[in-house]
Amino acid sequence: MSEGLVHLLQLLVSGVVTGGIYALVAMGFVVVYKATRVINFATGEFMMLGAFFAWTAMGAVQAPFVVALLAAVAASALLGMATERLVLRPLLGQRTISVIMVTIGLAAIFKGLAQIAWSGDYRSYPSIFPRAPIELGPILLPSRQFYPFLIAVAAIALVGLGFRFTRTGVAMRATADDQMAAFGMGIDIRRIFSLSWSLAAMTAAVAGIVVGIIGGISPQLGAIGLRTFPVVILGGLDSIGGALVGGVIIGVLENLAGGYVDPLLDGASLKEVVPFVVLVLTLMVRPYGLFGTREVERL
Amino acid sequence: MKPQIRSAALLLALSLGLAPAARAADDVVTVGACQPITGRFAFAGIAINAGLQDYLNLANEKQLVKGKKFNYVYEDSGYDVEKAVACFKQIMAKHSPVIMYGESTGLGKAIAPELNSRYKVLYASASFSSELADPKTHPYSFISGPTYSDMFGILLEYIARNKGAAKPKVAFFYSDTEFGKDPIPYAKKRAAELGIDVVAEIVTKAGAVDVTSEVLQLKKQNPDYVIFQGYILSPIIEVIRATKDFGLKTRFMGTFWSMDKGIIEKLGQDADGYMGVMPYAYFYEDAPGIAAMRAYNQKVRPDVKYQPNSYIQGWFTGMVYVEAVRRVVAAGKPVTGENLAAVLDTIKDWDTGGVTGKVTFVSHKAGVGRIYKANAAKGVFEPASDWIYSK
Amino acid sequence: MLIGNYKETYASDEALFRTPATRAWMGAAAVAAILFPFVAGDYVLYLANLMAVLALSAVGLNILVGFTGQISLGHAAFMGVGAYATAILASRFGLPFWISIPAGGALATGAGMIVGAPSLRIKGLYLAIATLSAQVIFEWVFTNWTSVTGGIRGLNVAPASIAGFRLDTDERIYFLVLGVTVVHFLLASNLRRSRWGRAFVAVRDRDVAAEIVGVNLFRTKILAFMVSSYYAGIAGGLWVYFTKVVTPETFPLSLSIQFLAIVIVGGLGSIKGTVYGTVFMTLVPEVLKAGTGLARVVWPAAQSYLFPLRDVVFGLLIVVFLIFEPHGLAEVWNRVKRFFSLWPFEK
Repeated sequence: MSEGLVHLLQLLVSGVVTGGIYALVAMGFVVVYKATRVINFATGEFMMLGAFFAWTAMGAVQAPFVVALLAAVAASALLGMATERLVLRPLLGQRTISVIMVTIGLAAIFKGLAQIAWSGDYRSYPSIFPRAPIELGPILLPSRQFYPFLIAVAAIALVGLGFRFTRTGVAMRATADDQMAAFGMGIDIRRIFSLSWSLAAMTAAVAGIVVGIIGGISPQLGAIGLRTFPVVILGGLDSIGGALVGGVIIGVLENLAGGYVDPLLDGASLKEVVPFVVLVLTLMVRPYGLFGTREVERL
Repeated sequence: MKPQIRSAALLLALSLGLAPAARAADDVVTVGACQPITGRFAFAGIAINAGLQDYLNLANEKQLVKGKKFNYVYEDSGYDVEKAVACFKQIMAKHSPVIMYGESTGLGKAIAPELNSRYKVLYASASFSSELADPKTHPYSFISGPTYSDMFGILLEYIARNKGAAKPKVAFFYSDTEFGKDPIPYAKKRAAELGIDVVAEIVTKAGAVDVTSEVLQLKKQNPDYVIFQGYILSPIIEVIRATKDFGLKTRFMGTFWSMDKGIIEKLGQDADGYMGVMPYAYFYEDAPGIAAMRAYNQKVRPDVKYQPNSYIQGWFTGMVYVEAVRRVVAAGKPVTGENLAAVLDTIKDWDTGGVTGKVTFVSHKAGVGRIYKANAAKGVFEPASDWIYSK
Repeated sequence: MLIGNYKETYASDEALFRTPATRAWMGAAAVAAILFPFVAGDYVLYLANLMAVLALSAVGLNILVGFTGQISLGHAAFMGVGAYATAILASRFGLPFWISIPAGGALATGAGMIVGAPSLRIKGLYLAIATLSAQVIFEWVFTNWTSVTGGIRGLNVAPASIAGFRLDTDERIYFLVLGVTVVHFLLASNLRRSRWGRAFVAVRDRDVAAEIVGVNLFRTKILAFMVSSYYAGIAGGLWVYFTKVVTPETFPLSLSIQFLAIVIVGGLGSIKGTVYGTVFMTLVPEVLKAGTGLARVVWPAAQSYLFPLRDVVFGLLIVVFLIFEPHGLAEVWNRVKRFFSLWPFEK
């Protein structure tokens, strides 16, 4: 295989792996939007808190990784439920900007509380995965990226299948489709909302742990939430499959930009801005993304 | 009451309450500081603050300057230029210090016009950026160490001295922040002068998650050395690991902020061969000045066994402050910002007891540092050269 | 109690200051504002300047969000465009402030026109996200277009000067800032009662109905973006002369969010609400600082909690106001005023 082809394949494969992780983060947004039509700007902070919960479990109680992960997920589920009850429910029906701002306010509260509880220092998880990189022929994947990718894919699959095949999942999709009709069919809308926020918090927790494994944990971890908007919009705000596809596309595009364009630029990096350019293009050309439901405005 | 009136009345009340304090007593030298105790640089801010405060307290205890006591006041500025400027102005208004310490280059630049025209206090900061090391435009500022450009210069000289037969190939890997970009233009020039080939300039966001495309660039260019600038831990660790995974024999170097002992622990076995420039000795080294530092720490916080580089930076800055005051007092002059700044140029071959090499202030910087190499087995950095002076 | 307040012409009914009492208070406020710098301490003067510039920018955002109902998460970027334009004209071409600041405003208006263009096709949430991307992209340009913006180092600017008189202290720049800000506040109040102002409100309340009545939706929305970013640009220009340095890190997303918070806490659609919001959001951290300063006596570690506490309080204020007082401080003030104007009657 020629060197150029290997280079390209390496970039593609790494892009897919990164994209899978983006998709997991994006799913936090999608799950909430799907059920409640709310964009949760605090998704990043839910991630950060989940990462910290797991870290505390591993550090203070010496819990093994899987136990810590489950504990963090459980704690986040409760947090999500509490958030929905206390903060989101009073704002049901208010205009979009109010709901956006309340989630932004929530993000600030979480970030501040995290800094008070755990201080601003960078933490890292103890070594969880084997050190050796994974080799796929001439392609190399660092272990720190590969195993989190597996976790991300597993989580996405679980949630996706859950939405499709469980009763609660169907109920959630029904609520997302048409609240009135779902209510008429006897679905408890309030419980669905509560569950959706719990689920979103849980996926955010897993995403946070994954990101924490790769880059360390700090109260700033949540910043990646907003960087995932391009994925969410590209895939479609209410499509889980869309999040996966969008994530992979953005991951690959980033890597291609980084691999082919950045070496030509002295001292600048296009890598971070390419996703947002894609975002703007998506909004101009196809605002509902690749797989999102087209919103029809009813007068 | 109309809102504007109410606001005005409130502000009036506040302003009367915050009116400048009376001039401090003559035998007290007030040192003010805006430290990043919280925020992104908290790990450094807390340590620098501790180091500076400790040394000033030590100076008071040992009466290092006859007849003068140091009074240290500090506020948190959160590594945010706006908050730092507010902090600076508030401390100046409340305490009228003659010496100030700032958290970043950003603060130094923002406050420079007023520092030069109105405040006129001796000023040092946590950043080693070359921008503030210009006595013509910043007569009151100094850097308690070499600039990042100097550090790069030292590393490049090391590379030039230890090259094999071929022209050495170097890649610069830096973050797209002020911190990262500061020394690059000088570094490129110096590399050209020394006959070193800069094969790649890789820029990433600080704390990037995925560095695969960057590492692939390294794989393509296969440099002999990679110099990091503008990062503390991440993504240095990822890059070193991934590069080793790809089987490259590149050696890695860093400057001050990426030379803390913690990086060896995080890298484990991969730390072997990592080197960089440190302007000061490490906390665990054998030198009288460092031993005194350890003794003082043992006294005030016996359960803290190690202090990072930034602590030593604070400590050394304290040493410079105290030395400047001592010289001004010895010359019989009043302790003012102007006199303190002027006396800096008289500091030549000053023995710091091994905290750093013998210090001579040139162009308002203490341009001396040493190359250290990581010893993964022992988990420490060991000196790999003598004290080198930047030009 | 307010009695005998009747109007005989449309003009007097639409006047900005309708009663003699209001006019008297405004006059007194003007006098106080002019005398203020001569009695205030350094730090308070600095705060006053800061609040004035922030309020000016926030009013721009209020025009876009409060009057016209469009969500913008990129307001700080427009301020940055104005600031950089002013800084470049001042430092590289030596133009005086009375050219460079309006030029900054003009360039920011152009940027607003471009960012507002998508409003033709998308609205609500999607428009908000588009403005968020604009913020990120502009920040990237500020950082990487080194030849023009000075890159990460930013630009230093000499203090403004009028025929040799340098506005290089907080006291002197205060008058410039005050003048520009007050004029623009009056303009904004005037805008509300003009034809365009009514168009803005119509678009916010029921855009389809507005279109039927003959309001050109796209033109109105674009105009709202342009006016809003003009305000931000002027504020950015003032900022440059106030702080004398501009770097890409001066106008981050968190500043955009701060503006949104000011506008919401102050009251959407209310100019004086914006002033209250700015003063409130700027003084609350100061009160916190004083609090932790006092707490430091008994609890030394209190210091390190100030900034995280500020974040928590910031978030709490937003959440609490949105849940309990969605119309903001302006509504609180209106309730107080109503109480006094009806007293001793109750409703």
